[in-house]
Amino acid sequence: MNDLQLLREMRSDVGSASPTTLARGRNKLMSKISSDSRPEATTTHAPATVLPIFRRRVLMASAAAALLVGGIVVAEVVRPSPGAIAEAAEVLNDAAAATIQTSDPVVGPGQYLKIDTTSVYAAGVLLGDDPKAARRTVEWLDKYSDHLYIPSDQTAEWIWNREARIPTTFFSEDAKAEATKYQQSQAGDPTRMGELLRAPGGNFYGEQRMLFAGLPLAEGVKTLPRDPQALLDTIRQLDNPDRSEAETLESIAAALQTGVVPADLRAALYKAAALIPGVTVVDREANLDGKAGTAIGIEDPDRGTRMDIIIDPATGLLIGQRKVTLTAGETFPAGTATGWTSVQTSVVNSAP
Amino acid sequence: MSTDNDIIRRSRDSPAVFGELYDRHASVIYRYAARRAGDFAADDVTSETFLVVWEQLETYDLDREDARPWLFGIATNLLRRHHRAEAKILKTAAKAASREAVADDSDRIAARVDAVVATGRIARTLKAMAAIDRETLLLYAWADLTYEGIALAMDVPLGTVRSRLNRARRTLRTQLNLEILDETENDHERLAAAPRNA
Repeated sequence: MNDLQLLREMRSDVGSASPTTLARGRNKLMSKISSDSRPEATTTHAPATVLPIFRRRVLMASAAAALLVGGIVVAEVVRPSPGAIAEAAEVLNDAAAATIQTSDPVVGPGQYLKIDTTSVYAAGVLLGDDPKAARRTVEWLDKYSDHLYIPSDQTAEWIWNREARIPTTFFSEDAKAEATKYQQSQAGDPTRMGELLRAPGGNFYGEQRMLFAGLPLAEGVKTLPRDPQALLDTIRQLDNPDRSEAETLESIAAALQTGVVPADLRAALYKAAALIPGVTVVDREANLDGKAGTAIGIEDPDRGTRMDIIIDPATGLLIGQRKVTLTAGETFPAGTATGWTSVQTSVVNSAP
Repeated sequence: MSTDNDIIRRSRDSPAVFGELYDRHASVIYRYAARRAGDFAADDVTSETFLVVWEQLETYDLDREDARPWLFGIATNLLRRHHRAEAKILKTAAKAASREAVADDSDRIAARVDAVVATGRIARTLKAMAAIDRETLLLYAWADLTYEGIALAMDVPLGTVRSRLNRARRTLRTQLNLEILDETENDHERLAAAPRNA
């Protein structure tokens, strides 16, 4: 069952007004509107005069909610932490040391920092509409490449060339057939079939670019603590209180692969990752999209997956991340990388 | 059968006709408000909505046959006065699913997500979500508005609706552990909004 179906079912048993209630409301309404004549257009309440009050109230409410969530996180994460297993901690700390010596690419006026990302994502369809009948999931892997051009002045226009997502890996003929069908059904959707986007400050789709949940990119780069423990605590507070350690590592990987995290913050992120309990060296020679590096991972028993980040030990740069299944599922065998992303950064003189 | 814009045009001259608009839509507005904030709020929001509609009758674009986006837009604004009632409902629903039950959810296949646990998680996620995202999501799932309808209701561009919905659904799916089934893109903070059911 998908998220919308679940959401639609929620509270679906409440809320029908009785005929009496509706009749009472109608009488009240009709007596009001017939007693005082309707105001002319010039005197109507324009939404603009009403909205600021609402907006302020809503803001206050969300601020209160944020405080509450923050409180819960602190209570949950402050506990004795054994940290990553020694070897992984060493690799991460070495990566942190190397990353500081690796100078950040210098983007001159008129030039762009180009971030090439290749990703593989699990995609799937759920067959069968009757929630009570047996339903079947068919999954496959999509490959997707995109190229982001960030101007030297990061408030100027960014350009993002998103290529089409192509179903590439199937573990059954069935999956191949469903993937083809699905791909055809999405032919009109540019978010799937590819598009070239431009947005000042990288705010594509009218959304501010985030470094972590609720933390805009530029602000995060400027204000995040460089002390590893303080940084880890901050990341945990920004994220959801119920997140697993694997998801914390995932957030760190996502921040690293934006490609615009400066060396000092990158180093702090590696050191913060080294403080996550349960992080281990998974593979000394992990290969991702043709590049080899050291894979550091943590298992997420709830999801039956392992989250890895792969680092070039020489430069301390992130090669990419991947999510690997630990057990065989309905469609994916155990050990499948059901999602990975590899990132490469360069400086170029022009953009599309 | 007359369309909404016909009714609105005629009720500009005759208040009695306005009752037809109430008869046609009051129950869906009530239901939407009741699901979000309970019966007490629904009563209040429904009457207020039609009063505001009456006061703003001149501002209605008569080219639009369907008045529901307009009505839901007004109702959504009015519901903000009842955010405490809404928060309370979500809190209660969140509590219904215990943490123990959630911890047992080890299966990564979405079809097996237990509905009770899911309700608790949905409630918790909705509660933590930014109000504009929650409103967008619920206008889509509970009010059955289209993307265009939501854009009209919330007076924002279509692209904003799309990105808010993407964000809200991505948050929801993460909480429901539906990420394998879905097409998660955490690299650039967005997600393709594609229906899961082929």
